[in-house]
Amino acid sequence: MKVTNKIFNFFTFLMAIVPAVALISIFAFVFQESLPLWKFSGFSFFTTYLWNPGFQYQPPHLVHGVLAPQGAQFGLDLFLLGTLSTSALAILIAFPISFLITLNVELYLPSKIKKIMVSMIELFAGIPSVVYGLWGIIVLEPILFRSVEPWMAQHLSFIPGFKGEIYSGAGLIASGIILSFMIIPIVTSVIVNSFDTVPKEVKEGLFSLGATKWEVGKYLTTRYSRASTVGGTLLGLGRALGETMAVLMVSGAIVNTLPTSFYSATNTMAAAITSLLDSALTDSTRMDLAALAALAIVLMVISLGVSIVGRKIAGRGALRGYESD
Amino acid sequence: MKVTDSYAESGHEIQWKNLGSRKIKDKIAYGLSYVVLGIMVVILVSIFIYILDSGASHITLNMLITPGNTATGGVLNAIVGTWELVGMGLLFSLPPSILGALYVVNGRSNGTLSMAARLFTDVLTSVPSIVIGFFAFIVLVQRLNMGYSLIAGGIALSVMMLPYLMRIIEISFRNIPKEQIENAYALGADDIRVASRIYLPQAKVGMFSGILLAVSIAAGETAQLLYSAGWNNNYATGFLHSGVGYLTYVVWNGINYPTTYSHYLAYVSAMLLILSVTGLIALSKYIGRGK
Repeated sequence: MKVTNKIFNFFTFLMAIVPAVALISIFAFVFQESLPLWKFSGFSFFTTYLWNPGFQYQPPHLVHGVLAPQGAQFGLDLFLLGTLSTSALAILIAFPISFLITLNVELYLPSKIKKIMVSMIELFAGIPSVVYGLWGIIVLEPILFRSVEPWMAQHLSFIPGFKGEIYSGAGLIASGIILSFMIIPIVTSVIVNSFDTVPKEVKEGLFSLGATKWEVGKYLTTRYSRASTVGGTLLGLGRALGETMAVLMVSGAIVNTLPTSFYSATNTMAAAITSLLDSALTDSTRMDLAALAALAIVLMVISLGVSIVGRKIAGRGALRGYESD
Repeated sequence: MKVTDSYAESGHEIQWKNLGSRKIKDKIAYGLSYVVLGIMVVILVSIFIYILDSGASHITLNMLITPGNTATGGVLNAIVGTWELVGMGLLFSLPPSILGALYVVNGRSNGTLSMAARLFTDVLTSVPSIVIGFFAFIVLVQRLNMGYSLIAGGIALSVMMLPYLMRIIEISFRNIPKEQIENAYALGADDIRVASRIYLPQAKVGMFSGILLAVSIAAGETAQLLYSAGWNNNYATGFLHSGVGYLTYVVWNGINYPTTYSHYLAYVSAMLLILSVTGLIALSKYIGRGK
């Protein structure tokens, strides 16, 4: 082989590992930035929900060998709770909808309209996150605040968590709904794709045995291609966990106050990093920044973990590259 | 996927009794699925109509031809900045995507290494956008002292675009008939020649469609850019140490700013975003149809 060819091949190899280098350096640099926080807070970072940057106008003091503002205290519980609850709600809403949409486009709709419908559902993924946030603030929050949440508080108050004061539409419910719109295209598209790869004989066999369309659909999604269904849902969950802007805009972005009901304002790890980074820059000890870096590391570990498991279960190529996650 | 699995093997037996109730169940599922699909389509269409309508009813010519600060003036600096950033992101992500994809599809590459490269590419797509933004801030903006700038924002965007592009380009390379590539090698062509005469020209359409898709995703991003591109009330004056405006920032900041005009700017920016993003997606699908 000629030398130029060898150089060319080596160069393509270097370029192929760029994503790996990017991923590892993101993790390494953000982790390094978070180191002072682990010394300062230790395990208490996971056991408190209070997030207090401390007094910026008093001299910083040494804690466990690192400089921190006086009175500073950092805990991720509130944000973790918000991230998990908004994502869980999003999945609860998105999964049945995606399931029914799959059944509909695969079994009930004429195949000509099917393509249009799938493209339409995929368009949900194309809407930028801030546009969802804008729509959430202007349209969704007032509807929740004026009609839906008062109705729920009045009629469903016997269920724990449904009783409480309604402050504004922003919070868990608004975030869950917006997130579900963002992940429905992902979940639907994975299930639809796996449905399309089911051999014709299996489907025809089921019908010839006398199964109804509902039974065929239920069997194929929950049994035959269960892996894609579970994997697709996890991929959607991974997206929801890391989603930033839309949730930041409709969650209420609360700090230091635990939610008391489903109507309370909430906050997520991703949204907190975005909204607190500006003020963290005023901390001359960089402890506040380290705390946000620690938040970023935890968020990254959780969402990458979920996405990797989802991808592994669903199989490579579950997503055709269009549905961002 | 296993093909051996069959309905009977799964232990799921059809109950031949109660045919009536099974039919009713089917009817319920049928109705419910149409209702759900209908609701989702109505929501989607209403979001589009709402954003387009509120943008179109507040747009003025002045907004489109003057720069502004999200509260006064226009959004021209944001429009220009968005495409500058996306272009910069493409500049940083396209060459490695093409060459990396060539490595992954090359049969002579080390199998384990190319599998690992693909795995990392897949995992990189799942990194939350704000984590990329945070990384860009602490490393590019602060340590490398780039300041809020076009380069920092472009790199932050390229980290997100890179895995998409690499995956889409890899798929379009794999769609090329294998015989053609084998023939070229059999005739004595080396890897450079196969890449430049077969892979690139043959995958042109698929690659272009993928680029449009990556651009459409990048144009709608916010979280990476907030702390890497920053913001600029005017046009960026250079590649470094000069913040850049972008449309998503106007939406975010404008709607949180308590004046009517800033809300109008947010609506208009949202309209421009949704038009360009869906336009690009549609174009990409049209170009890549049948692929």
